[in-house]
Amino acid sequence: MAISVPVEHVLYVAALLFLMGLAGVLARRNVMFLLMSLEVMMNAAGLAFIAAGAKWGQPDGQIMFMLILALAAAEVAVALGLVLQLSRRYGTLDVDSASELSG
Amino acid sequence: MLDLLWLVPALPLLGFLALFATEGKLPDKLVAVIGAGTVGIAALVALFAGREFLQSGEPSFSLSLWTWIAVADFQPSITLYLDALSLVMMGVITGVGFLIHLYATGYMWKDHQEPASYSRFFAYMNLFVFAMLMLVLGDNLLVLFLGWEGVGLCSYLLIGFYHRDAANGYAARKAFVVTRVGDTAFALGLFLLFRELGSLEIQQALAASSALTPCMATAICLLLLGGAVGKSAQVPLQTWLPDAMAGPTPVSALIHAATMVTAGVYLIARMQDLYLLSANAQHYVAVVGLATLLIASFTALTQRDIKRILAYSTMSQIGYMFMALGVGAWSAAIFHLMTHAFFKALLFLASGSVILALHHEQDIFKMGGLWKKLPVPFWSMAIGSGALVALPFVTSGFYSKDAILLTAYDTSGWLYWGGGVLAAGLTALYTTRMMVITFFGDAKTEPHEDSRINMWLPLAVLGVLSIVGGWFGIGVLDELLGGLGDFSHASPVAVVTMAVPLLGILLGVLVFSGRIDVAGFVESKAGDALRRFFDSGWAFDWLYERVFVKPFLWLARVNKGDVVDLIYTLTKSITRGLHHTGALTQTGRLRWYAANMAIGLIVVLLLAAGWL
Repeated sequence: MAISVPVEHVLYVAALLFLMGLAGVLARRNVMFLLMSLEVMMNAAGLAFIAAGAKWGQPDGQIMFMLILALAAAEVAVALGLVLQLSRRYGTLDVDSASELSG
Repeated sequence: MLDLLWLVPALPLLGFLALFATEGKLPDKLVAVIGAGTVGIAALVALFAGREFLQSGEPSFSLSLWTWIAVADFQPSITLYLDALSLVMMGVITGVGFLIHLYATGYMWKDHQEPASYSRFFAYMNLFVFAMLMLVLGDNLLVLFLGWEGVGLCSYLLIGFYHRDAANGYAARKAFVVTRVGDTAFALGLFLLFRELGSLEIQQALAASSALTPCMATAICLLLLGGAVGKSAQVPLQTWLPDAMAGPTPVSALIHAATMVTAGVYLIARMQDLYLLSANAQHYVAVVGLATLLIASFTALTQRDIKRILAYSTMSQIGYMFMALGVGAWSAAIFHLMTHAFFKALLFLASGSVILALHHEQDIFKMGGLWKKLPVPFWSMAIGSGALVALPFVTSGFYSKDAILLTAYDTSGWLYWGGGVLAAGLTALYTTRMMVITFFGDAKTEPHEDSRINMWLPLAVLGVLSIVGGWFGIGVLDELLGGLGDFSHASPVAVVTMAVPLLGILLGVLVFSGRIDVAGFVESKAGDALRRFFDSGWAFDWLYERVFVKPFLWLARVNKGDVVDLIYTLTKSITRGLHHTGALTQTGRLRWYAANMAIGLIVVLLLAAGWL
């Protein structure tokens, strides 16, 4: 253990990452970038778990991170199918083009 | 045979179902056989059942068919109840009904306009006979009410039989709505009776009726009188009957002269014990009868349409019956009901023959000189008119009218007797007018008569009944109902009663054949105003038009948007508005949803942190 980083700092970074990801989800229209932003958000959450686990010396944080990795893999598998369908049916990767299901 | 009593109403119902189910696809000859045949067999069954009933000597016979509804204590049963009163009514309905059906097979043969309407006519007529029989045979007021509404429906359908002409539809609706006013009162009376006595079985209710307070008895009697007044076309609900003449003539004879319009008389006679509890209500019955009697007689004096003359005369004769019920001459009322059914059916059927021979000419001033050319209708009309004006000793009308007037004199003094005698004089006057103008004088329209046996036979039978029904009927009915005992025809009152119609006829002959010149009075201003007043039926239509119809139409126009419905429209509008607002958030855009989720999450977090 060379340098000890205060847990608050790690949480600040995680929050910053999460907000960046959220901004990406809300701002980008290209579905690929949208998925990448989602990935960023999940990693922000994972970082917060790791930091918290380190703080209390518990393995739970790391286990949760592994769960998040599995979740991300599953999400990508589904999402790539959606991307393919989107590009096939609309000829574009713009998510706003698929908005027929409106009230 | 008495156990087969159920066949009497069942046969006409069967006829109706057969004609109704085949939708007019049967050949007309078969329709005639079914239509008249079912009623004819019903009449035969009624005859044999009646004979057996008389031989048994029992005061009443009831035949339970089944329980209609069973709800706790309320278990109205469908029971046929035969006693002297319903026996007379059943005889009139099936007997006269069959003769009219027979006549109608000939009358409607020439008179139906559409292919299926011959069958439709007999289907309605059979349904009517069924409903009327249920009305008089039902031992339960609920069954009676079923028949009551059934005959009202058939009356509506048959008045509007020639439905191509909008005026006939109007007349049918008028009859339906006006009688509905009375029916509402009748229904309220039934509710009240049921609340007070807990039973609608007529015999049970009458037996228990002495427990009623006088006030309640009067209320129930007056509500039932309301129903009777509507159905029997008495003042103040009489305005529908003259318009009901829009229907075919056999309908006028069967429904609007012989049977349905006397249902009110039957109802009051049936509920006799109830009316005996309330002298007030009985008094009103007599007042209604006397008022109708005089109003209708004066009106008949000025009518031009032969069927309307007969309609007003029917109203006045039923007025006699009501007056008789009111003064306590129950049997006389039923006796007059029977003789009236004979001679009025005869008059209507004969006038139908005249109308048919003149190609639907009903204005008596366009007839004239017909007595040689139309001998059968002429002699039928002459016999019917004789019975209507009560020619002493030879006609049936004399015996029944005498029984009413002399009983009225005995029990209620000179007022009702005087009114009745005055109306008898007027009856003689308008009947003479109708006969003189229709059958004598110059011929104005050439008749074409070709009556077959099915048309003149009913006229002949009814003609015989109109004559012998009196002295024959008085004996039978006196035995059955009592109270028709010997009336002395030698007392001064009886002589006056007898003489007034003769004077009326004499006056009528002199005036309407022109030997007494009344043109001066008729053409004067007062005479013309009086004539128009009488002609309009004492302006009842005019009054009702202004008091009820116009305000109602005005209200309907004002309330076209339906004020009450606004509450519900408002609820609907608010719901729809909320729905549209909610639907706005569903844009279908993924990023919009994500943003909302983020905002929602922030709000939840802020709430959880206690910052909001």
